[in-house]
Order: sequence, then C-alpha cells, then structure tokens
Amino acid sequence: MLTQMQVRGLMFDPYTNAYIVILRDDGNSEMLPIWVGKPEASAINFAMEGVSTPRPMTHDLMKTVLDTADAKIISVVVTDLKENTYFAKIHLLYEDSEYSIDSRPSDAIALALRTKAPIFVTDDVIQKHSNEEMDRWLENLKPEDFGKYDA
Amino acid sequence: MDSSLVKLTVQGVWTDASPNAESQVVLLQDEAKTNVLPIWVGSAEGTAIRMALEGMIPPRPLSHDLIRNLTEHLGLKVSKVVVTDVRNNTYYASIYLSSKQSDVTVDSRPSDAIALALRTKSPIYATREVLDRQSPETVDPWLKNLDTKGLGGSA
Repeated sequence: MLTQMQVRGLMFDPYTNAYIVILRDDGNSEMLPIWVGKPEASAINFAMEGVSTPRPMTHDLMKTVLDTADAKIISVVVTDLKENTYFAKIHLLYEDSEYSIDSRPSDAIALALRTKAPIFVTDDVIQKHSNEEMDRWLENLKPEDFGKYDA
Repeated sequence: MDSSLVKLTVQGVWTDASPNAESQVVLLQDEAKTNVLPIWVGSAEGTAIRMALEGMIPPRPLSHDLIRNLTEHLGLKVSKVVVTDVRNNTYYASIYLSSKQSDVTVDSRPSDAIALALRTKSPIYATREVLDRQSPETVDPWLKNLDTKGLGGSA
C-alpha cells in the first residue's frame, strides 16, 4: 500500500549539520523526515519556491533529458528504509512502457517537484520509521530551528 | 568566433586553496597539453566528477548516476559534451544526445556535463574560442598556487 505525501518543508538540522525534507500525507496523520545533502536540499528548495536559475541545475537537466525523450514521470515512491538510509524509485512512462529506476529520495523528490509528479511512501517505510523516534526528534526541535534554511 | 572543437580530458579535481573559495576546480587539458582549462564547480559537482574519475560505485545512485540511468532507459546516447561559452567567468556547456529518431542538444552547466560524460564514456570538448580566452599569463600563476595535495582527495 502506498500513501501519497506532499513536501511540507525543509529544515536545517544543527545536530547533524544536514537538511531535512518533511513529507506529510494529506490527512496529516503520517510524517516522514528525510535527511538530505545540501545540494539536494537546495534543488528541492528551488523547486518549492519556483526559483529559476540562469543556468540549468542538475535536476533541471534531468527534467530536460526526460522531456527530450518525451518520457513522463508517473510517480516517485520512497520504497525502503535500511539502516537509516531511505531508498526510492522513479516510475516512468516512455513509449507506452513503464520503467522503474532506482534513486535516492532526494533526487526523486527534486524531480517530482519539477514535473508535478505525485510522491508516495510505502506503508512498510512508514511503519519502519517508528513513532517513538519521531516523537523524540520533535521534542528536541526548537522554534528557531525552523526557517533556518538559507539556499 | 572560432567554434571549432578541441578535445579535452579531465586531469583532476582540486580543492581551491584560496581563503574564501568554497568551490573546487576541474582541470581539463587537450591531448597536446598546450591548452589548460580550469573550471570552478560546486563541491557536490566536484565530488560527482571525482567519484567518476576514481571509478567509485556508490551504494545508492547519485544525481549523475541517475541521469546516466535515465538516458540508458530512454535509449539516449550522450554523443559528446561541449564547453561552449564563457561570459563573466561563468562557463556554459551543451550535452549532445542522440536517439533513434533524432539528435538533440541540451543546455547544461559544464560540471553536470563533465560528470555525465565521465559516466557515459563520452568525449569532452571545448570550443577554440573558449580556450583562446585562457591565456597562459592568467592560467600559469594560478596553477602554481594550486594546492596539489587536494588532487583526488575527498571532498
């Protein structure tokens, strides 16, 4: 089973010096924080804010490659969580055939935002990401941690 | 404008040792070793290029591995990449893609183009005009200042 999620925000985690993408379902019952690197965070932020850059960035190039072949992204899915590492797949429609391509969630999300493709998370991943861990993490968050992201 | 193409190879990725430079430098050179083209790139792209040079296979595909995988799935071949222009110290590049039906050229930053070319074993070129703007007088002193220990090191 898959749950559709939206990108709700991007935060800076001062403890790990990394960025966190917050995915949330429409009913706000599930939330998934995914740690991403700075360049990927920046790629996601540009797409969220609709910023266009003078030269195409890496994920703009990805979209151009897809457009060139007239391929369409059907969806991206966060498929697995192993040892704190998330895995994702990009589902493509190309010449009436569907393809699944392995990806990091950060690349998949950055691409989904540029192609307006839906983002899904498997129930397995949601389950693995235990609520306890989530709560502990939320308790440690301070209001000033929000909006710290500076592209 | 001389748009004839000169084939270049990537000599390495250096960390720029100047105090406030965050970026890395990719050094391209022609076969006759008469032309050197340094291109400043971000640390993510520098790492992507370095990993390809060292033949490192990451456990999860990185952005440029993903682009290569996309081109393979879509039957697109990267026939070449070309550094086409430099304006205000900013370089521009094109990626030449060929499919069964047609050939297409897409705009790219040189860093993405080079990171992709190394992964698809595609040739890298610069236009003669871009190279001619790199005079030895400007490049040589800069090369002397390079921290060569940064070559091939981790980002």
